[in-house]
Amino acid sequence: MTSIAKKIYKTLSNLRTGIILLLLVGISAALGTFILQRPTTDPAKLQATYAPETLRLLDRLGLTDIFHAWWFLGLLSLLSLSIILVSIDRFPNAWRFYSRPYRQTDSHFRAAVPTKAEFPVRDPESALNASERGLKKLHWPIERITANGHTSLYSERHRFSVMAVYVIHASLLMIFAGGIIDGLFGYNGFLMLQPGQSGNIIETRTGQRKALPFSIKCFSAGQENYADGSPRKWWSKLAVVEDGKDVETKEIVVNDPLVYRGLRFYQASFGSTGQVDGLNLVATSSTGATQSITLAMNKPVELADGSNVTLTEFMPDFFIRDNQVFKRSDDLVNPAFRLEVKRAGSETASTQWLFPAYDKVSQGPDVGYRFTYREIKMGYFTGLEVSHEPGQWLVWAGCILMGAGLFVAFYMVHMRLWITVVPDADGKLVLWIGGQANKNKDRFQQKFEDVVEEIRAELGRALIAPRSAHDHNEKAELELVATK
Amino acid sequence: MATRARVVQMEPTAPARSGNALLVLVGLGVAFLLITALLGAAKSAGPIYNESNLLYVALIFYAGAGALYMGFGVTGVDKYVKFASIATALGFIANTLAVAHRWYLAGRPPFASIYEMLLSFVWTVAGLTLVAEKKLGVKIIGSITMPLAVVCVILMQLLPSEVRPLVPALQSTWLHVHVTLAMLSYAACAVSFALAMMFLIKDHFPSETFLALTSAMVSAIYIAVVATRFEKWGGLSVTAYDAKEKSDIFLGRGVRLFVTVPDLGWLFVMAAAAGLVPLVFWALARLQKNDTYYGVANKAVFIGVLVQVVVLAAFVMRVHDASYPSPFQEGFYPTALAASPFILGGLVSGVFASLLYLMLLWRRSELEELLPNTQTLDRVTYQTICVAFPLLTGMIAAGAYWANRTWGSYWSWDPKETWAAITWLVYAGYLHMRVTRGWRGRRAAYFAILGFGVVIFTFLGVTYLLPGLHAYA
Repeated sequence: MTSIAKKIYKTLSNLRTGIILLLLVGISAALGTFILQRPTTDPAKLQATYAPETLRLLDRLGLTDIFHAWWFLGLLSLLSLSIILVSIDRFPNAWRFYSRPYRQTDSHFRAAVPTKAEFPVRDPESALNASERGLKKLHWPIERITANGHTSLYSERHRFSVMAVYVIHASLLMIFAGGIIDGLFGYNGFLMLQPGQSGNIIETRTGQRKALPFSIKCFSAGQENYADGSPRKWWSKLAVVEDGKDVETKEIVVNDPLVYRGLRFYQASFGSTGQVDGLNLVATSSTGATQSITLAMNKPVELADGSNVTLTEFMPDFFIRDNQVFKRSDDLVNPAFRLEVKRAGSETASTQWLFPAYDKVSQGPDVGYRFTYREIKMGYFTGLEVSHEPGQWLVWAGCILMGAGLFVAFYMVHMRLWITVVPDADGKLVLWIGGQANKNKDRFQQKFEDVVEEIRAELGRALIAPRSAHDHNEKAELELVATK
Repeated sequence: MATRARVVQMEPTAPARSGNALLVLVGLGVAFLLITALLGAAKSAGPIYNESNLLYVALIFYAGAGALYMGFGVTGVDKYVKFASIATALGFIANTLAVAHRWYLAGRPPFASIYEMLLSFVWTVAGLTLVAEKKLGVKIIGSITMPLAVVCVILMQLLPSEVRPLVPALQSTWLHVHVTLAMLSYAACAVSFALAMMFLIKDHFPSETFLALTSAMVSAIYIAVVATRFEKWGGLSVTAYDAKEKSDIFLGRGVRLFVTVPDLGWLFVMAAAAGLVPLVFWALARLQKNDTYYGVANKAVFIGVLVQVVVLAAFVMRVHDASYPSPFQEGFYPTALAASPFILGGLVSGVFASLLYLMLLWRRSELEELLPNTQTLDRVTYQTICVAFPLLTGMIAAGAYWANRTWGSYWSWDPKETWAAITWLVYAGYLHMRVTRGWRGRRAAYFAILGFGVVIFTFLGVTYLLPGLHAYA
């Protein structure tokens, strides 16, 4: 590697750089919560909150869309690179430690191990057997190692926990990768449907329109309220239409989307279109005959005597000034309906106004009919959020892997025991037991002493039960030397 | 004989002093309050065992426990802890019954409004106090957690508490998973904060620096309120609140209506000045290298506490159930304490922090004697964060999965999400510095305290200071 490449590698693969990058990411993200961001804020609010020069400066620095700014994504990439490089840097050692456990001891090692104990013994074989029995009782795995005529025991638990930290960082990279895939290949949009309508063009957050590979048809939709009027449930009955056929139907609610071919359709909102779906009236002729009719906007309905009536204007909330009707608001508070009646055989139409809040009967010039208000049905639409997130499976897999990795890293301790029979400083044979753990050393100390106690008991039992004629009546003095 | 190493007991070896007086006082107080509560409940119509009565009983026991724990903190009498534990346990039972009752009435666990979140939080804090005592042997933790529980229950009385049916977005099992993980992780972070503070106390972190930091925090709170709410002629701007609708009054979309409470602004200015005085004397002491100024500063803190209590009382009395004119619209508009949770929280925290500082000042040597050694405190702080971090990770993951099911996007850089991620990064930083760089002791404690500050901002600051999708809690 050239020296520059080496320098870059060294900088990126050390922990301090990683921490600095973490800090920069954190500060940038925090800024993104204090400074109003364009993707989620009304432009008018931005103009109202910041002076024009300030807003221009913020825009230029990318501070009004931090989370999509090139430098923020660059920081995240550098952070990922740093994680990768640090892992590569440290992995070979960890792998060597993991794949080639140090199973046998030499005198230097035995002197250096922090937790150990010794018993004087007569016979190596019976001592090792007793140790095996003790370990088995406490559910430690046992490996017998014979080398150069010398036998020793090795026992360890949870060796894989040394790999946990790499699993954790790999899972974090998986999550980032999922996010990147979604950033590049995923999309999000909105689809508004009225009952009976079907559509396949969604509008994305940036205002673009995108065509889906199939259509969604809405059969019906509705809203259920609680007793106090607040919404309880929004539902839509949808069907996926592919090649003219209804391939899949589902009634969706909030929290339960329709999923088809990687696309998800969420119940996001529900509302009135502000349009009249049907206006129910009773037309009373001058003769007293009544006729029940339903009017839709600009669709003439024929009456019994050949005249026709059309609903030509609708205002959900009106007021009158200078003899003219004006719209006050979009809420259905005080509606006004303008009806045009064309008498049979006549070309001219005359206007009647219907203000149900004041008078259920329409007012206007005499056309032989009066219209009485019965009911109004407003049109409604269902708002669907559509999203395509191909990378999400990587994200969820990464989360699960990270959970497992964290659990192993924090709660599974790598513990090792070595047992061998060697001569001590005075040349007498001793059973040497040593142990080591990579964390929670206090708890390991206790486990170690449990093992030592168990082996001591086994050694005592081995002596009590006669093995051979000359072992009989011998009492070994057991001394425990526990050192730390 | 084998020497068995045992888990290092956290009990200190303080000389035992008999102290029945406090026990009798607290016992009488608890009994008195319980009897009056029972009489009050019996007099009113409706069942005695309802949620608010049970919560009040829990409050009484927590307050008694808090008093006994603080008494232990100051005198070291072991007996206090025993009765404090009993009181905590009794309060915890009452709290559990209150939660159960609300759950039964609402048909779902209490996770859907700030009132319910506080209810769950207090329950968790009480439970964790008992666990920390029995399993970890940290007896003194009750002296911080029980007053915290009392403050939370008092705050709850000001919040709208009706059982509201869930809006569609909250009708999901993921609500329970996400919120439970949030509660557990925040509680663990709170415990790690308490342990880190205890470390600093035991590690001879200078009391003068505690003085400066406490005064700075208190002054910052009052200066912030004055900077944002002080009106011409000395009034204080407060949100108007409609008690019938149980919501703030709005002028337009997202724009709240403010009314002016006359003269209250001056009181806050006074409190800000009172908070700055100790800071000024601390600075003088350092610049002039004259220790007598510290004495003046400490007296100023004591007076400052009294001033703060006066301001708090005045605020409560003037804002609770009153009506004032508004500069924005004609007429008088009602106010309620529920509309100013942030100001109220700031005032109460200021009083609380100042009282804790005074306790430290007057009883530091006894406190240090009572605390376990620094290595143990350091290690247990680390172990607590080892519990909090996976829970935080789980909370963020569950929140992302739930957001994906409800809004079609698992990460939208919403302020609450972003701050939760920042919290996660801070604690990840702590773990890295400790495991890889071997950071121990003071630096680790500072990091743990910073982490909890970020947790508080994520939990409360984002909700009240920054807008976003996470409007529920």
